[in-house]
Amino acid sequence: MKRLLQGTAALGLAFGFAGMAHAEGYKIGISNTVQGNGWREEMVCAMKAQALVSGKVASLNIAHRNTDAAGQLEDIRNLIQAGVNAIVVNPANADGINAAIKEATDAGIVVVAVDQAVTEPSAYILSNNQEQYAYIGAKWLFETMGGKGSVVYMRGAAGAGADNDRDAGFKRALAEFPDVKVAQEVFTGWQQDQGKQQILDYIATGVPFEGVWTSGIDNVIVDAFVESGTPLVPIVGADNAGFVGQLATVEGLVGAAVTNPGSVGGAGVALAIQILDGQKPASNTVLVDPSLWANNTDDGKAQIAAAQNPNLDPEWPVSVSIPGWTTYSMDEIIACKGPGE
Amino acid sequence: MTRLLQKNGWTLGLALLFAALLVFTKVIQPGFGLSGLDSLARAALPFAFATAAMTVVVLAGGIDLSVASMMAVASVTGARLMEGATEAESVWIVGFVLLVGLAMGALNGALIVLTKVPDIVVTLSMLFVWEGVALLILQGPEGACAVWLTELIKGGLTLPLIPAALTVWFPKAAVLVIVVVALVWVPVRRSKLGLSIYAIGSDPLAAFRSGISLGRTRIAAYAIAGLFAAFGGLALTMSTGIGEPIPGPYLMASVAAVVLGGVALTGGKGGLVGPILAVFILRLVRLDLTLMSVDPNVTTIVEGTIMVVVVMFGGILAVRGRKR
Repeated sequence: MKRLLQGTAALGLAFGFAGMAHAEGYKIGISNTVQGNGWREEMVCAMKAQALVSGKVASLNIAHRNTDAAGQLEDIRNLIQAGVNAIVVNPANADGINAAIKEATDAGIVVVAVDQAVTEPSAYILSNNQEQYAYIGAKWLFETMGGKGSVVYMRGAAGAGADNDRDAGFKRALAEFPDVKVAQEVFTGWQQDQGKQQILDYIATGVPFEGVWTSGIDNVIVDAFVESGTPLVPIVGADNAGFVGQLATVEGLVGAAVTNPGSVGGAGVALAIQILDGQKPASNTVLVDPSLWANNTDDGKAQIAAAQNPNLDPEWPVSVSIPGWTTYSMDEIIACKGPGE
Repeated sequence: MTRLLQKNGWTLGLALLFAALLVFTKVIQPGFGLSGLDSLARAALPFAFATAAMTVVVLAGGIDLSVASMMAVASVTGARLMEGATEAESVWIVGFVLLVGLAMGALNGALIVLTKVPDIVVTLSMLFVWEGVALLILQGPEGACAVWLTELIKGGLTLPLIPAALTVWFPKAAVLVIVVVALVWVPVRRSKLGLSIYAIGSDPLAAFRSGISLGRTRIAAYAIAGLFAAFGGLALTMSTGIGEPIPGPYLMASVAAVVLGGVALTGGKGGLVGPILAVFILRLVRLDLTLMSVDPNVTTIVEGTIMVVVVMFGGILAVRGRKR
């Protein structure tokens, strides 16, 4: 028994020294419940990189594992125990972690929920503006089509919050172009194979159409055109590595990628630091506006070329930064190092 | 006295390890106090019930891979029924969810006994079946939880007639675990059924020759596991205030706690106190790793290593004890 105790003490000491380093600056906690997904990994690296380049963060406590809302409650409470100044969290769901968020804000900790909203009113929410995402892509598409013709509208998953917001943006753009009609509206479920089959089915009907708007199931749509020998029409997609690569290389493809960056995590850290510095945003909900990279403008071409970085993980969205929020370089996010690492 | 110590050596060792870890936590985080104990107990709650469920079937010589899925079914059933229900109605809902748990467990056991397919195969299939059932009940994280249930696990214990200062350090969530496990397990353990569970776990043939009904005992053990899983599902709803149809990480965690708690995976040896202590130790280790801001990808490696080291140490101690 004595040995067991000695062993424990030795283990404890060995790990203990890892946490002893203290420096001036904020201590920020991070909680994320999906591990091994490219978008989420980019988010965590953006958080680390932004904390490092801000120069204001002494240490990061990162709880990053695959778990449920109950596990995230535990992680947030552990971060409260660790005495962090702010917690940046990608919530497991909108309601399940409210209890722990309330405990944190009651303890004077700034809580920023990134990517998805929470219903606890004391938390700040920072997410990509999905309504604007659809609007700017659709507007570009309708303009490129010459303001008339019919478009195939390939949505995401029925009932998903992001899909509802994007639909509102798409409809807003559609209202501005009375001569553009929706030829076909389908839900891809954000599934590659399903989206490809749907566009092939529509091509097979022989009904002509002048453009395709996709909710991020994009590179397989280009593949379908190329493989079936159908003349290409303008296509809007997201900033996935595959599609952005096609924008640079596929002959005759006119298209645009709209950014949906995982780097909102970095923006969340930037917002938390701003609030800790005493600059509170006007509203508790902050939306990050997407940008559009079209391969028919010089500006867009330059951004598409800059995104072709062989060091970038192919699973990551290629827009690794958010203008106005994140200040790290592409090399810094790829390095994925936080303060003290 | 020495016999008692020898018999419960492992559990005692775990208790000492837990105490040592508490001291260590206080050293690295001097602010660790009442709220820390409270959040530890609340984090341990679903794991403790999952582990209790797993322990009972392992003692009976089986294994239940559907524990986490049954918890999900119980959680979404409770959360869905409690949406819009009054506080008084929710008492009946709790009773109903516990019955559902008992029935799910009994069905697991009955399938094993009737089909003669190994436990691991049947419960693996049931893992998927119960997962699907949970998704049929709720498609996404939704539902609600009665206020009295959420209050049941919030903060420290206060008792009438006793000064609050004496009891408030003890988290209500820990009281709930102790009360539920004692109410369910102590009567079983003291009855013929308890003896039969240990008997079929250690030697089914000898148990059969002593006149124990293997099938009935096994079904009973799985039913008790289902009941504990239902408590675990309710604990999830109490913590989050909603129901989540996707099962959480409770299956592997419960097997880990059973092993660390000194229960033989071959059955018939061990108790419920050790595994539940092990749950608290594993949660405290995670808290300590967060406090020390250890790299999250290293955290799971450390957790696994600690388990192997403790079990190895215990094994060595046990062998030495026998030689002496």
